[in-house]
Amino acid sequence: MDEVLRSLALFRPEIALTVGLLLVVLADAVGAAWRNAAVRGLSLLSLAAALALAFSLHASGAQGALFSGMLVVDPLGAVFKIILVAAGLLVVLAFTFRNSRELHGLGQGEFHSLVLALTLSNLLLATANDLVMLYLALEMVSITSYVMVAFLKGDRMSNEASLKYLLFGAAATGAMLYGLSLLYGLSGTTSLPAIREFLAGGIPDTSRLAVYTITLLVLAGFGFKVAAVPFHFWCPDAYQGAPTPVAALLSVGPKVAGFAVMLRFFFGSFAVPGMGAWDLTGVIDWPPLLMLVSAVTMTVGNVAALTQGNMKRLLAYSSIAHAGYIMMGVVALSEDGARALIVYLLAYLVMNLGAFFVVTLVHLHDGTFELRDYPGLYRRAPLLTAVMGVFLLSLVGIPPFVGFLGKLYVFGAVIERGPGYWWYAVVGAVNAAIAAYYYFRILKVMVMDPGNEDRPALSLAFADRAWLVLFALANLAPVFFWSGIDSWTRGSLVLYAGR
Amino acid sequence: MIGLHHYLIVSAALLSLGILGLLTRRNAVNVLMGIELILNSANVNLVAFSRYGAGNLGGQVFAVFVIVVAAAEVAVALAIVLTLYRLRRTPNLDEADILRG
Repeated sequence: MDEVLRSLALFRPEIALTVGLLLVVLADAVGAAWRNAAVRGLSLLSLAAALALAFSLHASGAQGALFSGMLVVDPLGAVFKIILVAAGLLVVLAFTFRNSRELHGLGQGEFHSLVLALTLSNLLLATANDLVMLYLALEMVSITSYVMVAFLKGDRMSNEASLKYLLFGAAATGAMLYGLSLLYGLSGTTSLPAIREFLAGGIPDTSRLAVYTITLLVLAGFGFKVAAVPFHFWCPDAYQGAPTPVAALLSVGPKVAGFAVMLRFFFGSFAVPGMGAWDLTGVIDWPPLLMLVSAVTMTVGNVAALTQGNMKRLLAYSSIAHAGYIMMGVVALSEDGARALIVYLLAYLVMNLGAFFVVTLVHLHDGTFELRDYPGLYRRAPLLTAVMGVFLLSLVGIPPFVGFLGKLYVFGAVIERGPGYWWYAVVGAVNAAIAAYYYFRILKVMVMDPGNEDRPALSLAFADRAWLVLFALANLAPVFFWSGIDSWTRGSLVLYAGR
Repeated sequence: MIGLHHYLIVSAALLSLGILGLLTRRNAVNVLMGIELILNSANVNLVAFSRYGAGNLGGQVFAVFVIVVAAAEVAVALAIVLTLYRLRRTPNLDEADILRG
């Protein structure tokens, strides 16, 4: 009983989200005229509370295992919680039912309860410390995402996207579950720290093949969540078919949680913490495998994005490419790698949400997601175009924008590992150059291409202008807070690996 | 005498059948059945390992959770397949092909 009470005290962000979720469902069921305002207010309140509680959890520096080792709390996990809750909060705040043409007039109660459920399950996934919890949280994220993608009930695209997402996801998590069952059979336990102890104790050579098989199968599940090649096929379809606010949330939330659990699984149970770096347990040399996946992921994502005409599809391929860069932080297997990962994810949060926000606004006014309809925006909406320029330059990784900071840290962490890793950094740099082509192409279409001369200027609402400026300012964070980000992330690198 | 190996062979066979169903079937409901076979192959593994290998109940508890999650997943999946049928009058997955590229 004491253990449960102690755990609950460190479980406050999740409790805030759970309470918010239940209240939203109740308020929506009342059916009164004020319910739409009520559910939005309640979900904002519970997300804001969860964010504040996550910050205080981070500041307290608490670490330990919760609920008999099912979950874990540590500063690194708290950073992931902050990013995940912030993603939910920004999506609810900026992407409203007013400025999304797709969501306009649909049920707000369902949407907000799904956002809260997705955020809650992301938090659980990011701090899972047991195979059972890991699987449950992963499926909770997945099932909520399937429903969110299918949100436009009568829309064929939304339905098809959700169906593809679901079948792909069920197959990938099924493969992962088979791997987890083998891992349980091999080690006799479902606890990640206990698995590490088992592997660190050494295993007979005959079991080595089993560990490789397990790693491949488990990677299928993680790869599906972060949209890494070859488990990325659902990603462009799901983003294109889903309502844009959902696509924006899916491009950040499950990806961040996927990387958090990948970090915890590979660092926490397939490596032993050392000084400033983690050492491999000697059972399996997994970084080369992830390195290959990461290099292929960024290349495939960038090359496929070159020819896309639909903005949501283009951003989907761009997010696949970014998953490749972010994975460099896991491959580095060091404290610098972990720090690069969280810096990149923070950057990715503001630049990607910003880009999706611009796409939503253009769709609200012009009703199109096609890049060929973007010419003339420079004249019709100067602010929007300028801000989109900021997001795109940030996505390319040009200083002084926040995307540059992310790339700097991941490349630095990889190069630091020695000459064996240099080719990998070169692949990353070449990819950044390819990516620059299609990001600049969007900018060129918006600014230089002729067309749409007869269409009136976009009249953006005040709230939309304000959010555009805020997202742009967040992308300029390194100018003001570089040293702050540097020391804040450096102080958060504690990964609790006990039972 | 039935031992761990027999269970593992059954589970591997179930997994293969599940993957086969997933890859060859065109009807969405049949594909979902294939996915159920994959999940159940993992369940057989978990329970067998729990009984013969690990000597703890962790695997059996895991299997119970997997069954619950599988039920939830199928509920959502069937709802989506039903919508597919309403929109296109077919449960055939090949018909769902507007998203490409």
